[in-house]
Amino acid sequence: MQLAVNILVLAAIYALIACGYVLIYRVSRVLNLAHGELMMLGAYMLVATASAFSMSPVMAVVIAALMSLAVGGMVYLFLMRRMTGEMVLAAVLTTVALGILIRGAVILIWSAQQYHPRAMLGWGNPVITLPGDARISLYAALLIMATVVVYGGLFLFLRFGRWGMRMRAAGQDPLLAAQRGINLHAVFALAWGLSTFTGALAGILIALDSGLDSTMVMIGLKAFPAALVGGLDSLAGALLGALIIAAAEVGVIRFIDPLLADVVPFIVLIAMLVIRPWGLFGTREELDRV
Amino acid sequence: MTVPLLAVDKLEVVYQRAITAIQGVSLKVSEGQIVAILGTNGAGKTTTLRAISGFLGLDDARVTEGTILFRGAHLENRPPHEITWRGLAIVPERDKVFPNLSVAENLAVVPRRRGTADGRSMEEVVYHFFPRLAELKRREAGLLSGGERQMLAIASGLMCAPDLLLIDELSLGLAPVAVGKLTESLVQIRDELGISILLVEQSASVALRIADYGYVLENGRVVLDGDAQRLLGHADIQEFYLGHAGGSRRSYRDVKQYRRSRRWYG
Repeated sequence: MQLAVNILVLAAIYALIACGYVLIYRVSRVLNLAHGELMMLGAYMLVATASAFSMSPVMAVVIAALMSLAVGGMVYLFLMRRMTGEMVLAAVLTTVALGILIRGAVILIWSAQQYHPRAMLGWGNPVITLPGDARISLYAALLIMATVVVYGGLFLFLRFGRWGMRMRAAGQDPLLAAQRGINLHAVFALAWGLSTFTGALAGILIALDSGLDSTMVMIGLKAFPAALVGGLDSLAGALLGALIIAAAEVGVIRFIDPLLADVVPFIVLIAMLVIRPWGLFGTREELDRV
Repeated sequence: MTVPLLAVDKLEVVYQRAITAIQGVSLKVSEGQIVAILGTNGAGKTTTLRAISGFLGLDDARVTEGTILFRGAHLENRPPHEITWRGLAIVPERDKVFPNLSVAENLAVVPRRRGTADGRSMEEVVYHFFPRLAELKRREAGLLSGGERQMLAIASGLMCAPDLLLIDELSLGLAPVAVGKLTESLVQIRDELGISILLVEQSASVALRIADYGYVLENGRVVLDGDAQRLLGHADIQEFYLGHAGGSRRSYRDVKQYRRSRRWYG
């Protein structure tokens, strides 16, 4: 039972991060390799707001999350916009550079020490005992809920929202979307904003649950196989991919060796690339991405 | 003198900073007019249309000379969505609908122009012109037939309530019956909504049947223009585009290129 809960929590983390990869890839065919760093930046933003708004902790969290939405939009508007219509590879390399830059900036501003934003905000993290004697911390439970809400919201938004439809349209055929009068820059900025927002949400909740230092990037990196195993352009795939990766990782930690934890997602990734490179739910034509 | 809706003057487009696709192309479209651009493959018809409707970076094409004026505003090298907002919608030749979106979604993604009817009523307008689309609302656009797809593409173009509709290769790959229906709809759209239409066509018979005015493009230049009726009667159009042999028994295939170049380039 505890095993199932552990898998679920880890899957929720990976899924919440993976949907950011999927969002951006789906609308612009760009792999955002700075996603892990942007997620970490969101968590550090909480450190900043936690000291600035120590009176009202909820406010601090909300502002940190909204700031990351703005950061995502700005990353597009000031950096990635120039890449629209250019080669995708150039854009991907730009995100690599951006990631390195953010990592450097984070260490420069906040140093390499560990932070505990939960203590800064004066919150506790009570353990909830579930039926079957499984235990889950409050913030881990919140993480699962956040993942459910984010995925539900994204599904509805992409299916019925006017801008959601435009995101799907732009992903299919950017030129035609532009010719129909859809502002591609607005669509892409929205995708970057949403992606960074959901990533930061994951980062913030993880930081609240278990503290924060610059190794958080690793979690973002491990969520990438989840997105790819599911098929990079599919949200449902990301959800399932996260579950598979999490199950494999928790299983290995429990039954083989905890030291292998960081390796497992990438072993699954390689296995997937060999068997079914376009992912579980991905579009087969997307194969040239690898 | 009235200002034409669209005035293209001495337009030159260069691809990849090296290849000149069209040179010195001038044309005009007035309010409520249907204008046809004729020409064979590679004559520069599509380039002309794309220059008017805007390039994306990936095409690596630029308007290097000349002007495109729409209601007096310059459109050269503006991004496509901005041009659409000004009231100029294009129906491209290929990839004209979003295949994974339903018919209704294809129409719903089009943003409204400011100061025009809202989306809901525009939807009713396009279903009035294309009742078939109303029956197919929920169908994915990728599953439509060629004719239905063309209807949807024109309908999507209408959704932004344009003043001018640019249509690239209306008849390409479609059955004559379907083409007949589409041209009827276009005339109906022009008559009821007052929208001007610029039609790019390989098939002179289709285009000149509904057009008021026509331009013939060859090798990136306008070589002939005039009222549609006059063009239909013109000996060169008869011979080169409608396939009437001009009285002689020579195979038009053998002499076409030679005689055309002699007549038009001296």
